[in-house]
Amino acid sequence: MLTQPEWRHRIPAELERLAELRSLVREAATAGGATRDAVDDLVQAVDEAAANAIVHGYAGAPGWLELHVAIDGPDIVVTLEDGAPWFDPTVAPEPDMDVPATVRGPGGMGIHLIRLATDALDYRRRADGGNMLTMTRSLDRRPKEDA
Amino acid sequence: MALQTTVEQAAGRVPVTIVTLDGELDGTNYQHVIDTVQGIYDAGGRHLLLDLTDLSFISSAGLVALHTSLRLMQGDAPPDPEYGYAALRAINEDVDAGATVSNVQVCGTQEGVQKVLDRTGLGGLFPAHADRAAALAAF
Repeated sequence: MLTQPEWRHRIPAELERLAELRSLVREAATAGGATRDAVDDLVQAVDEAAANAIVHGYAGAPGWLELHVAIDGPDIVVTLEDGAPWFDPTVAPEPDMDVPATVRGPGGMGIHLIRLATDALDYRRRADGGNMLTMTRSLDRRPKEDA
Repeated sequence: MALQTTVEQAAGRVPVTIVTLDGELDGTNYQHVIDTVQGIYDAGGRHLLLDLTDLSFISSAGLVALHTSLRLMQGDAPPDPEYGYAALRAINEDVDAGATVSNVQVCGTQEGVQKVLDRTGLGGLFPAHADRAAALAAF
């Protein structure tokens, strides 16, 4: 059985370290055969998810983020784990422009961009606390929302 | 990759301040861009060209910076930089209102960055030009 290539990287939950995650995703997705368009989308999705975990999840407290990237047939699968309080972005509502901004709260634009950049999102609570968000995108086709 | 910001003046039909963003615009540096544009407006600058030729990445925080820059150049007060959905709403309201402005122009936007601008509606607010010469001619 062939071993699929995969990449893993762990950083402290600091915005200053996001460039490392973007760089790893860019390298992995490119090596995995993703189109430029797919690479850009995955970099975007990981940055937005990681920034949300740092800014809203940990909210200034020290923490960690771990990124895992794997190629799965025609798809690239990126998993981001953190130890912040449970938050499921897949059930976060779409931006409701009729609700006052002060009620909606910050951070929603990132989730909106993650949805547009990926084909599938899967959220799981980690057993020992924290979150695991899996983002899947075709290596070459555009996400359906964007077609 | 960090973000390098340079500010230049160009003389044309009107004086234009050119801000070049080189690198990646994200949550670590978007406030710096807002502060830079606020400084330009406070110093009397009224025409702004954002040269994005060497901008390789923009996050949602960066979109907030660009939209805030547009508003600041209209003389608006700076909004809460953490406003998230509110930024998206404000962008959509501006697009609906046909709020394209003539005193802020953008040039050289890379394909990946343009895709993000378009997905959020921000692309509709900025007249985009291939290069500086085309953008300067539009003021």
